[in-house]
Amino acid sequence: MPRPAAGRRARNKQATQQRIVAAALALFQSKGFEQTTTRAIARKAKVAEGTVFNYFETKEDIALYFLELEVSHAIAAVRADRRLRHAPLEEKLFALLQSQIEFLAPHERFIGAAFVQALKPASKLGWSRQAAELRTRYLAFVQELIEESLPPGKHSSLSWVAPPAFWIYYLGVLLYWLHDGSPGKQSTLAFIDRSLKLGVGVLRKGTA
Amino acid sequence: MATLTAGVTGSYVSYLIQHAFLGAESRKSKLKAAHTRAAQRMTSEFLTMRGPAMKLGQALSLQAGVLPDEMLKELATLQMSAPGMHPSLARAQFKAAMGQAPDELFRSFESEPFAAASLGQVHRAVTKEGDRVAVKIQYPGIKAAVANDFKWFRTVSKAAQISKHLPESSIAELETQLLAETDYAREAENLEFFRKRLGPLAFVEVPRVYRKYSGDCVLTMSLLEGSHLDEFLATRPSQRGRDELGAKLAQLFYFQLLELEAFHADPHWGNYLFRRDGGIGLVDFGCVKYFRSEFAATLRAIYLYPGERGGPEFQHLLDQRYALHGRKLTPAARRALIGFAENFYRTVYPPEPERDAVPFDFGDDRFLRSYLRESTNLMRAKGSLPEYMLMARAETGLYATLHRLRARVPMSRIVRSFLGGSGALAQ
Repeated sequence: MPRPAAGRRARNKQATQQRIVAAALALFQSKGFEQTTTRAIARKAKVAEGTVFNYFETKEDIALYFLELEVSHAIAAVRADRRLRHAPLEEKLFALLQSQIEFLAPHERFIGAAFVQALKPASKLGWSRQAAELRTRYLAFVQELIEESLPPGKHSSLSWVAPPAFWIYYLGVLLYWLHDGSPGKQSTLAFIDRSLKLGVGVLRKGTA
Repeated sequence: MATLTAGVTGSYVSYLIQHAFLGAESRKSKLKAAHTRAAQRMTSEFLTMRGPAMKLGQALSLQAGVLPDEMLKELATLQMSAPGMHPSLARAQFKAAMGQAPDELFRSFESEPFAAASLGQVHRAVTKEGDRVAVKIQYPGIKAAVANDFKWFRTVSKAAQISKHLPESSIAELETQLLAETDYAREAENLEFFRKRLGPLAFVEVPRVYRKYSGDCVLTMSLLEGSHLDEFLATRPSQRGRDELGAKLAQLFYFQLLELEAFHADPHWGNYLFRRDGGIGLVDFGCVKYFRSEFAATLRAIYLYPGERGGPEFQHLLDQRYALHGRKLTPAARRALIGFAENFYRTVYPPEPERDAVPFDFGDDRFLRSYLRESTNLMRAKGSLPEYMLMARAETGLYATLHRLRARVPMSRIVRSFLGGSGALAQ
């Protein structure tokens, strides 16, 4: 019976990977990204340090994997919400950003550090092929949301520039959220709501 | 706000450019058109900005005498229009305030609001215990927005402040009230105060607060039944039914003013629910004014004043009221107040006890014109007090409702029943 054994092996591998990611995230949050070593991650995940390397080359790869999970989670959340299918574009984009923020919220300290890390020229988080692919997948989804919001047969003269502009906007939202000291980070909600209304309004004006 | 200021300014700049080349009549009509354009611009911007700016627009729309009629007409549309939060934002805001999403905390929660207000919106829900409730959710970041919008408003209304037509104390009063409306903990206290203290008026129902489901930006209350004024009028109620309802609304108003020394100051029609059994549900206690006892005492002394209103005793009562604010009544303001008492109040509220049983017919709109004319005179005479801002708002709301009901109400009898301070109710 090779199938169940293979299935169990795959499940075990997945469980180990999840344990490593959970341990890393806990350490990134409590000790900081810079201070966390792969040895400490292995110890916390109760695996050998070599096992960590079987799954991730560096701690940056763990962070990148977490961000992939975040994007997948947010895309799935928007697609799973049937009510959103007929919602206006600004609400769909709001729901996307909100799902991302909810996913990131327990790891705020780490996100702050990852932000700085991603700006370094050699950082895998900002400039690797995986990071580029992740960004492409995310922005393709944004493009999809924009296209499906346009009336049939219409296109926006701004839609080509909208996804890259949205990426810069998303980074701005993250920075705003990280610095938001309002209760429940309400200012971020207000900021996203108002800015999306403005942005989508501009996009609509360019629609012919 | 900057685009709004620019747009409004633009309307007047274009008028000023043409001004030099026009005759008196053309100037007048062009100025009216400029007012309308500016007001349309303001209304549309207020609507897109929602929140405090819109609330400010709503408040301004009730300031007869301060703004030109063309502006009041446009701004009045804000009374009934309020853009809402989309369900994703309402859910996120709820979760930010309560730590859990509404569908986790309640047995069921309707994602579409059933009532919208300028600072928040209300959703129906059912608690885990099975109670049907109304959940009011505040727009995010509203407190900071109030402060910002008032900075702008103080700048654009500089001229009216310098001329004393819109004193800084009145703007401060408006700001304090708007900030108070964003404080849901305070609103919960207001609800509990009025629910208890309005007990003697058996026909009035005030929602119960569910503290367990409430926080800084979320207020959960029992859901009241009833229809709004338009729906009530669509049932073509008899004259007697309209008179009875009118009398109850007047009782409710004067009971608050003279017995509780506090009143519900948001007369929006959406805040009144009329039940089939004649009961009245009163909702939204964000805007409530508590009087100082001394001020309420001056109201009791002046209402239904039997003597000569131009005489020294009446004038002394007016002086006392203004002295409470450290202000000396100017001759012009005194004349305006006496004119108001003679021309409007004596007609609607005749002081002679033998006329108590004669109802006043609110169907005739001459009384509304008289009220607006006298209010305008008072404003122009710079006789406004901070208390008047909200009193005028509530009183205008009462008259507008009585007029729509075309009710005939014995106002003096109702007022007199509360003047003794004994708590006696009008029969």
